[in-house]
Amino acid sequence: MKMSPTELIAVINQTMEYAYPVVLIEGEVASFKVNQGKWVFFDLKDEESSVGCFMTLWQLRLPIEDGMKVVVQAVPKLTKWGKFSLTVQAVKPVGEGNLKKSFELLKKKLADEGLFDTSRKRALPEDLTEIGVISSTQAAGYADFVKILNARWGGIKVKVAHTQVQGMDAPDQIIKALRYFNEKNDVQVIAILRGGGSADDLSCFNDEQLAREIARSKIPVITGIGHEVDESLADLVADVRASTPSNVAEMLTRDRVAEGLKVRNTMGRVAQVVLNKIDMQVRGNNDMMTRASRDLRIKIENYLGGVVQKIKILEALNPEKILLQGYAIITGAMKVGSVVKITTFTDEIDAEIKTMKRRE
Amino acid sequence: MGETKKLNEKIEELDKKVEWFYSDDFKLGEATEKYKTAVELAHEIEGDLKNLKNEIEVLAEDFSK
Repeated sequence: MKMSPTELIAVINQTMEYAYPVVLIEGEVASFKVNQGKWVFFDLKDEESSVGCFMTLWQLRLPIEDGMKVVVQAVPKLTKWGKFSLTVQAVKPVGEGNLKKSFELLKKKLADEGLFDTSRKRALPEDLTEIGVISSTQAAGYADFVKILNARWGGIKVKVAHTQVQGMDAPDQIIKALRYFNEKNDVQVIAILRGGGSADDLSCFNDEQLAREIARSKIPVITGIGHEVDESLADLVADVRASTPSNVAEMLTRDRVAEGLKVRNTMGRVAQVVLNKIDMQVRGNNDMMTRASRDLRIKIENYLGGVVQKIKILEALNPEKILLQGYAIITGAMKVGSVVKITTFTDEIDAEIKTMKRRE
Repeated sequence: MGETKKLNEKIEELDKKVEWFYSDDFKLGEATEKYKTAVELAHEIEGDLKNLKNEIEVLAEDFSK
């Protein structure tokens, strides 16, 4: 079968496309370079072999550098120059050390752009009635969120965008969900949820475009990704970071049990206030009565004091008292020859007046 | 959602009723009746708190495409 080089390359490409539409290859990055700020070239190698890789800068969601171990999702292709190459769709560092390195590189880049600045952070609205959730409805973290949300509060309409929350496709799905909520604009807050997992499981939340999409969101974003110790770029760029999906539910809602208790305590305090006021009033009445009786007693005592005084005066004027002191009362005509009556305390005597003269 | 709004309005109303007991407008003669209505409202709020339900809707949109 005779073919031109172009035909041969086309046949080989068709065969590869049929046999290996997409491949995942793990290897070490070498000769990494970015051309014209748009095209990314690097080699993926192991101990024995090396294969050239090509991708757009836009597709590079996490920073990579020479020596870093990565896994690429790619389409194998023979170029028109007969060179075998991988057209990379996605690339992700492999292993905790490489993930961390990539994370730190991107974190610095975004921090330098001010994406994590506290001045950008918006407060969450109070008394939420519409929440948008981005999560996998199969995830344990989502179930925890729903459980805590329902236990704590009600009356909230929750719209759930079901997306992958791990793997290479997760960032794009989450970005689409973020755009959906922003276009619809019918939720007050967007919660991105994912339960705990390995660094590799959570690495999709360190995607540069996802971080930028969160930063662009008109609607405030809260994240509950992994556990307290897990820090992702999505967390850093979000308006509010909760430690877990359950914590998101706690931060977004009031606690109905606590609210009920508050109402009961309030009414208990009011009852106490009423009792205190009744007590005060009774005590006030008692004080009034005490004051009145004291005034009355003083008046009575004053009155009684006056009476005693008068009695004393009257007693002092009593003729009997005078007679008792040895004095006598003489009654009758006071002239010589007349008989007068002399009354002492014990006796009554008739006596004739013999002589009379005026006192000097 | 109306439920939360109504509940918040009731809580606000209760707060106002409670304020009266602490204010200079307090009159012992009116306290019993006012306390009774406040307790009724408090019970209503507690009932509402128990019965509040969330509405969870999983969107039909396919975000994988």
